[in-house]
Amino acid sequence: MKLTDHYVFRRILQLVPVLLGISIVTFLMIQLMPSDPAAVVLRVANTPATPEAIAAMREKLGLDRPLPIQYFDWLWHVLRLDFGRSFVTNQPVLQEVMHYVPTTLILTACATTLIFAIGLPLGIIAALYRDSILDQISRVFAYIGVAMPSFWLGFLLLYLFSFKLGWFSVTSRGSIADWVLPSITLAWAPAAVYARLLRGSMLESLGQNYVLYARARGLLERLVVIQYALKNALLPVVTVFGLSFAHLLSGAVIVENVFALPGLGRFAVQSILNRDYPIVQCYVCLIAVLFVVINLIVDLTYSYFDPRIRFGKQEV
Amino acid sequence: MQNREEHDWLGLIAAIDRVEAQGDRTLQMYLKTPYYPALQELTLIRPVRFLSPKAFPDSGTTAEGIKAPIGTGAWVLSDYQKDAQAVFKRNENYWGNKPALEQVTVKIIPDGETRVLAFENNEIDLIYGNGEISLDSFKQLRDSGQYSAEVSPPLNTRAIAINTGRGPTQDVKVRQAINRSVNKDAIISAIFYNTEQKADTYFSTEVPYADIGLQPYTYDVNQAKTLLDEAGWQQPSGQAIRQKDGQPLTLDLSFSGENNVDKAIAEAVQADLKTVGIDVKLLGEEEQAWNDRQANGEFNLIFNDTWGPPYEPQAMVSSMRVPSHADYAAQKELPMKAQIDRKIGEVLLTTEETLRQQLYRDILTTLHEQAVYLPISYSTNIAVMHKDLGGFEFMPQANQVPLGKLSKS
Repeated sequence: MKLTDHYVFRRILQLVPVLLGISIVTFLMIQLMPSDPAAVVLRVANTPATPEAIAAMREKLGLDRPLPIQYFDWLWHVLRLDFGRSFVTNQPVLQEVMHYVPTTLILTACATTLIFAIGLPLGIIAALYRDSILDQISRVFAYIGVAMPSFWLGFLLLYLFSFKLGWFSVTSRGSIADWVLPSITLAWAPAAVYARLLRGSMLESLGQNYVLYARARGLLERLVVIQYALKNALLPVVTVFGLSFAHLLSGAVIVENVFALPGLGRFAVQSILNRDYPIVQCYVCLIAVLFVVINLIVDLTYSYFDPRIRFGKQEV
Repeated sequence: MQNREEHDWLGLIAAIDRVEAQGDRTLQMYLKTPYYPALQELTLIRPVRFLSPKAFPDSGTTAEGIKAPIGTGAWVLSDYQKDAQAVFKRNENYWGNKPALEQVTVKIIPDGETRVLAFENNEIDLIYGNGEISLDSFKQLRDSGQYSAEVSPPLNTRAIAINTGRGPTQDVKVRQAINRSVNKDAIISAIFYNTEQKADTYFSTEVPYADIGLQPYTYDVNQAKTLLDEAGWQQPSGQAIRQKDGQPLTLDLSFSGENNVDKAIAEAVQADLKTVGIDVKLLGEEEQAWNDRQANGEFNLIFNDTWGPPYEPQAMVSSMRVPSHADYAAQKELPMKAQIDRKIGEVLLTTEETLRQQLYRDILTTLHEQAVYLPISYSTNIAVMHKDLGGFEFMPQANQVPLGKLSKS
């Protein structure tokens, strides 16, 4: 137990330089953007961007100071969750961003649940009944999921279930039903990928000696599949999930557009197009932190599935 | 007036000297100079508005923002969910004719196809505007016969500004040749399904002072080729693109990549100009980059729409003197630019009707003869509504949504 604590602690400690790196990249990235932030603020306020006005605005925004000083000043504010004010609305950035977070969070959470609820059983069944009709169905499901662009899938679902069948409304009505079609749209492709991935690794682990040994011990087949084969087969799926979390978020942009959901992705794209730099910085930081945390959780899950990771080189 | 600088793109704001309240119901406005469009510009949706006394900030100056947007309009905002929807209730204390509808919900749906689907699914009563849905969808909804679909009278001009200060377009003959090479009729029927009218002049003849009998540049490929030959751009045998001093005749055309209509027009223009030996590079960029090009003049050709009533012609012409607009960048290197600007200054000040007409005639004729613009079409708003909606009529300004007389049975 003590060793686990140590492992978790070590992993969290490793996050510090990563997060610091993220902050530097985020900060510098904005410096590389094509439009001068001072000119953007002036444009948004409909003020003619004369050289004098730009110089005055640069001074007001503190852009005339040396880069390292600007960075530490920015970092100091960010550490206190102060990302400044939006160039467009002049509202505190965090408040603006947090307005959109719940929508995206609910959407990705629902999609993640669906991915595992559909992907896992489909993968297991496809492996257990290899080359059966069930396996073929899962294969077709996977091909469609991977081949179909999500905006098209979303639109087809809307057309069928909202327009033709009338089961759901096209625009949000503030009920749970609003989330069904968007979640399916977002979940389909990853669920298909995970199902195929799990099928492959299940087949591999079903052929391992420990499964043979378990069967030889006369254990229940259900126990053999879940406790022995699945637990080992899940490792690559969990790895891919950690990495593809970013895909889920970027897919959310398209889904939010098609289903008219006021989510973070749509807001971020709009902010990038508006050159609303403080919002973009906050968004990038938020997503990066989220990504790092998800991967931390994935790493920790590894150690549950495969204790060897937790113990590192201290072989048992 | 503390915020004057932010709003001096509008001639009226620059002209105001001071404003005094004369009792409770009279406001006296003093202008530095006579300014004929003053009343028109007071009707604009911004920057001059009535504001409820309760909405003034504690400091008393609106330069620091306002407490709440409480005006004198026909509608009251009763519910607002950012980026999702806004609900407006009828203002029961409205001074004018009250709207027939009690409540209007504006839904924010970013995707055009979803808008159509929501409309067909009876979740939306009215789709209104320009570019809100694709013209294919509009045609399909109109042809279905189940809905009312209408096209507004012309609102403003969809045009391409031609840079007089950069590359081959510095030559007036090249600019005129461009004007003669583009088959606008084909664009109108293939891209707009005839929902917009062809534009021959930068301002439509409906615009005040603009009906001055300008001779359109008709579509004439041979004439265009002659003009290019005269300008020294020769077509070497066996080559598609003309050359002068070993340099190919290449122009860039900038547009916002998000604007699908402009993109389609750009492709048509590219194909048309190719037939006369001009190579056009399409620069479909994000909107901000396109805006930047308008201001800094880094373009040969750029999409640049006029503003429509009530800005035309006075506010639009006035802005031609300000460097942040494509109009300025495009006209900058005209030999008579100083003269044009002087006349623009005069036309806004003169109180004499005949002189004003004469000055507008001079300005618009020069711009037309110099072929600074390639007008494409007079753009329109479209409206698609369910048949239970009555009292619909288009508004004169592009950004006004005609809700006042609308009723639902």
